Amino acid sequence: MEMEIRTLSRGRRLLLLYCSFFRITALVVGGGLAMLPVIEEIFVVKRKLLTREELLDMTALTQTVPGIIAINSAVYIGMKVAGVPGAIAAAAGAVTPPFTVILVIASLFPHLDPKNRYLLGVFAGIRAAVTGMILVTGCRMFRRTVKSPLEIAVVLVFFVLAIMKVSPALLILAAVPFGWCYVLWQTRRLARAEQANGESSKVSAESASESRRNEEGGKC
Amino acid sequence: MLNHCIILFFQFCKFSVLCFGGGYMLIPLLTAEYVDREQVLTMSEFGNLCSVAQVTPGPVGLNTATYVGYVNEGFFGALAASLGLIVPTVLIGCSAAAGINRWKDTFLVKGMLKGTRLAAVALIMFAVTIFLGMSVFTQTIPWEAFGALFKLDYPVLPEGFRVSPAGVLICGATIALMLKTKVPTTALLLGSAAAGALLSAWF
Repeated sequence: MEMEIRTLSRGRRLLLLYCSFFRITALVVGGGLAMLPVIEEIFVVKRKLLTREELLDMTALTQTVPGIIAINSAVYIGMKVAGVPGAIAAAAGAVTPPFTVILVIASLFPHLDPKNRYLLGVFAGIRAAVTGMILVTGCRMFRRTVKSPLEIAVVLVFFVLAIMKVSPALLILAAVPFGWCYVLWQTRRLARAEQANGESSKVSAESASESRRNEEGGKC
Repeated sequence: MLNHCIILFFQFCKFSVLCFGGGYMLIPLLTAEYVDREQVLTMSEFGNLCSVAQVTPGPVGLNTATYVGYVNEGFFGALAASLGLIVPTVLIGCSAAAGINRWKDTFLVKGMLKGTRLAAVALIMFAVTIFLGMSVFTQTIPWEAFGALFKLDYPVLPEGFRVSPAGVLICGATIALMLKTKVPTTALLLGSAAAGALLSAWF
């Protein structure tokens, strides 16, 4: 199967990428992470273009670089399969369906009756569900990311600043130099702790050998 | 017109570069820009827009971008906004895919990730408060109706602290279902839409 793909002409490969991502974003409701199982099925199980390890790498990468996860995945897989043109084809495929659907809905929207109580109810219901979804996503991110009391404090400071209407863009930019200082401080602390550990174990080894020597001396 | 589209394109380039941690990060960025600063949208319009973006297939971030672009400048605005969201990603993705394994353990990348992730968690919490304000602490279906239904004396709560029972019910149910079961997102959204319509018809 892999050979078959490798022998595909460049044009066919680009078409395959475009169509696959067209299908993925046309069918999957929800965020970029909801796409992962579908990506796995198409590119790992069926087409055998990626290994499972590569997919794991991709998952890490898509959450590392900025940008929405869906497009990040498309770009990465496109790169793997057909280089930069592949990345562009995959991204274009991922964009086309939501773009069209939203355009149609957005142009219909003004024709809806804004006072219709059923319509209002539908929107209220979906908003409440979305609130729950963001809350769950946020909690999962919190658990994955925040690992010490100091980090909890930092998150709280950022949160309060955001509530006080500090621009979110500014907050993210400020977070970068903060992260550098933090990582630097952490590695220094770790190094110091290791050094201390090393010394103490050396000391204990010395004392052990000393006591052994003493015992031997006693025997003599 | 063209000017506006170019501005939209670069605004969304900015959002794309700042968007660490997925499409929900766009919510605080977009509200700060279009609701608070430029005031082209009201908060409630923004809520509807996010609901539409969540229900229609496709990544949430992309849907929201297209919609905001359309609201601003029509078809070409939508095009400019979604291109703006994609172009930086393609550029960064193409260079990162080649070099990430060499770079990912350096202190510069690690520090940037740590910092931006902490900020992302805080901003998503902020997005939750925005949405709580629009779905739970609102009077779409007033508390009084709920009290009257069960013949209860309801406490008179100050403005802004009144809770919409429908919002609490649906939000709570969504959280419980997401944590305890593997109900697909589509089903959750359709169910809550139906529940919302039913509850608003009932009260």
